[in-house]
Amino acid sequence: MPTDSHTIMRPGDASDAVDGVVPRQVVEPESSADLAAAMADASRDRLATVLRGGGTKLDWGRPAVAIDLVVSTARLNTHLVHRHGDLTASAHAGVTLKHLNQELARYGQWLPIDSAFDGATIGGILASGDAGPLRYRYGTPRDLLIGVSIAMADGRLVKAGGHVVKNVAGYDLGKLITGSFGSLAAIADATFKLLPIPKASATVVASYDDGERLGRDAQTIMGSQVEPVAFDVRVGGEGADAGTPYLLLLRIASSPSAVDAQIESAQRLLSGSARVVRDDAERSIWDEQVRGAWSGGGAVVRVAWLPAKLVELVTLVHEVQKMAAGRISLWGRAGAGAGFMTIDGDVLTQAAVVRRLRSSVFVGNVTVLRASRELKSQVDVWSLPGSALKTLHALKKAFDPVGILNAGRGPI
Amino acid sequence: MDERLADEFTRICGPDAVLREPLQLLTYECDALPHLREKPALVVLPGSAAEVQAVVKLCARDKVPFVARGHGTGLSGGALPVLDGVVISLARLNRVLDVDIANKRVTVEPGVTNLEITRRVAPFGYYYAPDPSSQQVCSIGGNIAENSGGAHCLKYGFTVHHVLAVEAVMPDGELVEIGSTLADAPGPDLLGLLIGSEGTLAVVTKAVLRILRRPESVQTLLAAFDTISAAGEAVSDIIGAGIVPAAVEMMDRLAIRAAEAAVHPNFPPADTILIVELDGPRAEVRELFATAEETCRRAGATTIEIAQDDEQRARIWKGRKAAFAAMGRVSPNYYVQDGVVPRTKLPEVLARIRDLEQRSGLRIGNVFHAGDGNLHPLICYDERIPGQSALAEEVAREILTYCIEAGGSITGEHGVGADKRDSMPRMFSQDDLDVMQQMRDAIDPSRLCNPGKVLPTPRLCGEVPGPYREHPAERAGLAERF
Repeated sequence: MPTDSHTIMRPGDASDAVDGVVPRQVVEPESSADLAAAMADASRDRLATVLRGGGTKLDWGRPAVAIDLVVSTARLNTHLVHRHGDLTASAHAGVTLKHLNQELARYGQWLPIDSAFDGATIGGILASGDAGPLRYRYGTPRDLLIGVSIAMADGRLVKAGGHVVKNVAGYDLGKLITGSFGSLAAIADATFKLLPIPKASATVVASYDDGERLGRDAQTIMGSQVEPVAFDVRVGGEGADAGTPYLLLLRIASSPSAVDAQIESAQRLLSGSARVVRDDAERSIWDEQVRGAWSGGGAVVRVAWLPAKLVELVTLVHEVQKMAAGRISLWGRAGAGAGFMTIDGDVLTQAAVVRRLRSSVFVGNVTVLRASRELKSQVDVWSLPGSALKTLHALKKAFDPVGILNAGRGPI
Repeated sequence: MDERLADEFTRICGPDAVLREPLQLLTYECDALPHLREKPALVVLPGSAAEVQAVVKLCARDKVPFVARGHGTGLSGGALPVLDGVVISLARLNRVLDVDIANKRVTVEPGVTNLEITRRVAPFGYYYAPDPSSQQVCSIGGNIAENSGGAHCLKYGFTVHHVLAVEAVMPDGELVEIGSTLADAPGPDLLGLLIGSEGTLAVVTKAVLRILRRPESVQTLLAAFDTISAAGEAVSDIIGAGIVPAAVEMMDRLAIRAAEAAVHPNFPPADTILIVELDGPRAEVRELFATAEETCRRAGATTIEIAQDDEQRARIWKGRKAAFAAMGRVSPNYYVQDGVVPRTKLPEVLARIRDLEQRSGLRIGNVFHAGDGNLHPLICYDERIPGQSALAEEVAREILTYCIEAGGSITGEHGVGADKRDSMPRMFSQDDLDVMQQMRDAIDPSRLCNPGKVLPTPRLCGEVPGPYREHPAERAGLAERF
């Protein structure tokens, strides 16, 4: 194990538990080189290893069995370079998104990713593909990533991409690592393209009690020249609008006069009763929209659908609501066709709902994110499409030949 | 090549789909980088994904290298054949399979041209965003292989941002779906890895692409400057003002002259011109365009011309997009370089290029995507003058050195291909390259899928690793890298 003075090593305790399993050891490297050294040691000793950023999504994945080692990036957070003239920034994997965005804001720029988790780190966000409503305009983390440095399981520290926005030299290993859930390599450092923070913002919130009208309005907006940065849907759920069956939310962010003009266009196109929120009220409604799925105690499942099939999706939500006596809500990205469904109720009901979702032709990529160990024992949390599996397994073998990473919890 | 294999191809794809005559093969010896040439054993033109799959399976069985080819417009030798190998032309897979306006997507075969996609969805008010200059003829399969960009990628990104899923034949002949027509496919982003892999990981047989609603408003201006640094300052100030233009293009005197000679866009006779295009909702464009215009004026623009209609806009873009080919009007030969620098390093790097022009005696035209620091210096030479071809290559190489030293990249959009594989060690460490090779070997263990591209070829014995140096065997004319 690393004895380097820059790497803290300690026995794991209850606060380090991964999905209820306490790791034997925790190592906290302070530099990319130390991270790589820790990986080499783990491979040499064949330690079942879990990589941890902020630990905000650590319970995602298949149930943990024995974990020998947690490699934490908690102290890998000193490097942060903002090249504001170039609209790019690089940061250690352990830097939190929140901290990064505070720094970028000094020059009126941001990394437009909205995570539901305050402590989420750059590394964790990439590894899990964490994204929120802003993905409608800005894409998911993979779309903003322009370079990475990764520590391979055998201890080599390698890079792909670079510091420039436009670059096609070499293979884009940064993309491959996105969504890998710590199963391929450890992210040491990442470089992103940035955007200017819009000068003004306002949101139209339209309420519906009829799913058909909701669907029609969503389709009208999709086909219009209104260009929201976020275009969301909510079905059920607690919060300020509890009791309203459906909400559509359109956030316009641009220059002040352009925001007003677009808000007006959007209102004209919507048939539901719509109100406009700004400033604190706007921040609070989006905060709720980003975090809502995670605020209760139920299971959280990620689902995807074709944007034009919103009506069918809503019908499906009602169907499963009946199975769970109403305790199901959907917090989604209407424009992207992606969202989180929360499922309360007993494990058997939750499992039945997941199975029903997986059998539906209207939703796909159903991934169980937050769930009790009991639920995880009833359904596989992942639902990987079959045909690319062989390729993914070959890559896993090439990157992590000893098979130490993520202890069988990840998608591969 | 084994006759039996050729016969099998014929049985699968039909007699007219297998080309073996030297004259027929000539077209396929190179792509748009004609100084790299190689003779394939044959060219096969499958008509369906199943035929592509059958062809690849046979290549895998007999361990014959194969190279997928779109419409041959690549600028890095990515479709350069392997000697005595197979070229799989995707030209016959050219159907638009589905247009789904409600979900903003189209499904196409790889031989469909880039512009055809926009043509098909334009009646509904949509377009396909990536717009490489060759968009009238280049294929979407080639775009996926190269992760093609274009003038508008500053705001809209590259091909990788517009592909939702593909169907592809893997090097072992397995037909797979990669990515998902729905959002959030779980697991590593294999699709993102595949796009831009220059045909070395799979042969794409179908793609689902995102289309965008045509913006409500587009405004384009053409600003003339006395110095390139003034134009550079205007670009910095526009971006510093928080504007993300759809495109910011720069052309210098020589490039302007060439474009003028070829397509008469009526550009002003300036040292440098800047094309700035903004698009989006009307109110936003109106407000920000005024700021962009004012910024150009403050930076010292001598004239500013604003396109009043689509026709004027098309004329400006025609001049810009014709610039490469137009160099033929002002120089017998030219070499197009593709390098990237961080945008703030543009003035410094351009000054170095001007200095190099003076020192080398070769004229260098500059056409580039100024918004994202993607340079396309056009190095003029005359191959009839002894030594000039070699000098042009040396100059092109020197420019890459400037890009690397400025923290940029050896290629922004043309790809590494066969052309720049030996420059890869200048950007990446041996470990970086080894891991890339390991990744590639995991997918193509027999190294049959477009071999010899992207990564440097195994070192010749006695060669020192690191920056390219001429090997003693090369110097003696005993070996070459092509």
